[in-house]
Amino acid sequence: MRSSRAVGGRQKAVGSRQKAVGTRASGGVGLAAWLRSLPCKVGESLVLLAAVVLFVSSALGAAPKPTLKSVGQKVYCLCGCVTTLEHCPHPPSECSMRAEMEALIMKDIDAGKDEAAILQDFVNRYGVQVLAAPPAKGFDLTAWVLPGVGLIVGLVVVILIVRRMRKPSSEPAEAPPASIDPKLLAAMEEEMKTSGLGTRD
Amino acid sequence: MNQVGSLALIGALAFSVFGMVAGAVAGKMRSMRVLKSAERAALAFWVMIAVAVVALEYMIFTNDFHNAYVAQHSNRDLWGAYKVAALWAGQEGSLLFWTFLLAGYGGFAVLLNRKKNRQLMPWVISIVMATGVFFSSLVFFIANPFGELSLVAANGTVTPFRAAEGNGLNPLLQYHSMVIHPPMLYLGYVGFVVPFAFAMAALITKQLGDNWIRATRRWTMVPWMFLGVGILLGGQWAYAVLGWGGYWGWDPVENASFLPWLGGTAFLHSVMIQEKRGMLKVWNVVLVITTFFLCIFGTFLTRSGVVQSVHAFAESNIGPYFAVFIAIILLFSLTLLFLRLDYLKSENKLDSVISRESGFLFNNWVLLAMVFAVLWGTIFPVISKAVQNVTVTVGPPFFNKVAIPIGLILLFLTGAGPLLAWRKTSFQSLKRNFTVPLAVAVGVGAVLLFLGVRDLYAWMTLFLCIFTGVCILGEFYKGARTRSRMRGENFFAAIYNLTMQNTRRYGGYVIHLAMVFLFIGFAGLAFKSETKALMNEGDLIHIKDYMLRCDSLTGGDDPNYTYRRAVFSVTKNGHPIGSIHPERRFYKASQQPTSHVAIKASLAEDLYVVLDGEDPDTNKAIIEVFVNPLVDWVWIGMTVLLFGSLLAMVPSRVEKEMAEIRKPKAEAVEERHAF
Repeated sequence: MRSSRAVGGRQKAVGSRQKAVGTRASGGVGLAAWLRSLPCKVGESLVLLAAVVLFVSSALGAAPKPTLKSVGQKVYCLCGCVTTLEHCPHPPSECSMRAEMEALIMKDIDAGKDEAAILQDFVNRYGVQVLAAPPAKGFDLTAWVLPGVGLIVGLVVVILIVRRMRKPSSEPAEAPPASIDPKLLAAMEEEMKTSGLGTRD
Repeated sequence: MNQVGSLALIGALAFSVFGMVAGAVAGKMRSMRVLKSAERAALAFWVMIAVAVVALEYMIFTNDFHNAYVAQHSNRDLWGAYKVAALWAGQEGSLLFWTFLLAGYGGFAVLLNRKKNRQLMPWVISIVMATGVFFSSLVFFIANPFGELSLVAANGTVTPFRAAEGNGLNPLLQYHSMVIHPPMLYLGYVGFVVPFAFAMAALITKQLGDNWIRATRRWTMVPWMFLGVGILLGGQWAYAVLGWGGYWGWDPVENASFLPWLGGTAFLHSVMIQEKRGMLKVWNVVLVITTFFLCIFGTFLTRSGVVQSVHAFAESNIGPYFAVFIAIILLFSLTLLFLRLDYLKSENKLDSVISRESGFLFNNWVLLAMVFAVLWGTIFPVISKAVQNVTVTVGPPFFNKVAIPIGLILLFLTGAGPLLAWRKTSFQSLKRNFTVPLAVAVGVGAVLLFLGVRDLYAWMTLFLCIFTGVCILGEFYKGARTRSRMRGENFFAAIYNLTMQNTRRYGGYVIHLAMVFLFIGFAGLAFKSETKALMNEGDLIHIKDYMLRCDSLTGGDDPNYTYRRAVFSVTKNGHPIGSIHPERRFYKASQQPTSHVAIKASLAEDLYVVLDGEDPDTNKAIIEVFVNPLVDWVWIGMTVLLFGSLLAMVPSRVEKEMAEIRKPKAEAVEERHAF
């Protein structure tokens, strides 16, 4: 029996420093001023959060030591199965392309090559389409950049919409319409009472 | 039967053209008589397509291999349920099935709106039938499933031909969930035509209050539910059949189904702002157009061969027709929207940034950012080819990197959103509502770190799952406690009554809980283990706490396939836990092999064993074993998603009371617009 080899998932701890931002709510005027300034603070914080999340996600990219599994996740099997080598549904005994590609990985690993060098060997042999994700250079960089740009632009748009839609603070609070249907009012009150959720619906 | 099917298709095409024109005429001339004709045409379209479906199924069941489609996708010994599934196994049959479901949705819309929404219905029928014209034309002229096999002699003479046996169904499709997964998915894709049609009808008739939103809420929930469950059933199929130990591969076809689900989710949330506050009217129309566009675009991606996919149908010539149809949809709907902008003014202003309204806006931001990221990644190979003449591949490494962070923000909003009040949430309320969920999440997060969870994404996912779960369960708890105190009800009775009082809200919360279960399952992917070995009878394989002993390697014959089966006895930590027997099957008709994975499932982890064939050098069995933690939570999430969606569609007491209150006004509106 061939000895079994457990292939563990790649695990990498990424340290992150978080700066705690204290908030102060010291009475009615301070709280109101704080609430008024919220669009900016919430917006900036969310932009920062999005940027941090994207940065951390890109930092998670590098693999420390190549394995058949780690490289197999990053290249596509070219047998026509349209999946990564790792996910090719055909066993190597039935799929000569999978067998050939796995043999190349093992040969490069045995030769002491790192993952980048192995992937470059694959590109040299099969072309750039063998990579399971486009390289982050040239025009292909747009593939990586635009989702982040979209996320941030979307956030800016939402913040602008919120600012535009927001009632000016000088505007008095709405009085309940005098003509409200008493049955409707009763139904709403009953609903709020039984749910115990105040105005949260 | 081929003639019957073709005639039925001609009839369907004729009725759809008539329904489209009659609906528009009825709407324009406000003629009840013409409207009745349009309604009957919509029902006749449904009947005609149903006849075509029955004709094709009849030929499949009677092994009529005169028919090219039947010869290509079925065989004599195919099991009955798979003969049903052969209907959607190929391009032509699946387009016919798509059209059948479209006709069904149109028919139901007619039947359920016979006495209401009279001002909208003529245009709703017209738009659904216009979609029907496109699909029935496609099925009749371009991808007709009623073509006959024929032999062409050297001198050009064509003679009909009957194959002795069919090629059989693709072995990968011969799995029980493939009998229900595609219909579910199609019910999702197709169903969004109804809310789209209502939105367009509202734009045409300038009836742009929240009437069309209320009329289409369930029409949106139904396809959204089917699409969500269909996607997860597809995952279950991939998990059990493809043999790589996973359920989602970010394949273009998978992405194509995910995109309209995301769009529909944004729409379902955003409409609540219009209903409650009369805001975001333009945005809601944009979202329904986007969702319907993504449905058709997904269908186009699946069938055109524009992008390479493990699930795609063979490359075909229908792509350009879809491109034209998509262009027409966008041109028509966006022009109409532009012309009606004056009628879509917001009725209210936002009272506070910290409110349910802005929570929904941020939810929409994240959902649409996800739509953009997934859509961009899916079509990037095409863009790259066009711009730099280089074909690149965009697969799981890209999508995992881009989509996981966005998914985590979404998971946070799934918990935080329900804690925000409409109009304004005070800082104190925010603090009160968030303290317990955050404290519990931090506590459990610390325990997870202590237990050795070091993968950043997995830790963040589990942390946010706990936060969101506590937020949602807290909503049930607080509501039931108040009700229990005020009415003296037993706590569990209070939960039941609370839920039934407002099924829409609490059904929604159940769906949010389903998301928590799904994300717990996703987090498990970080802890997957696998091993591979060549084995003979008596050999042992060890992975994590499991030891598998190969008891036997046998072979056998089924009418449809031959198989090789490995039987393993399994122990966990030294205790026997039963046996497991993966198979490798070789389907006779299609001459294709496939793995039949064996899974021993539990809430904590799945033991997943694949017989990957035989090593040609040693004749030993190639065995792959995976231990996949938390996968069952994905299927639990799917069940809870289904339950929550059904619950949210049950008419609640509040809804009935509100409908009663609105009735006189609605009747007055109906009367005013009566033909």
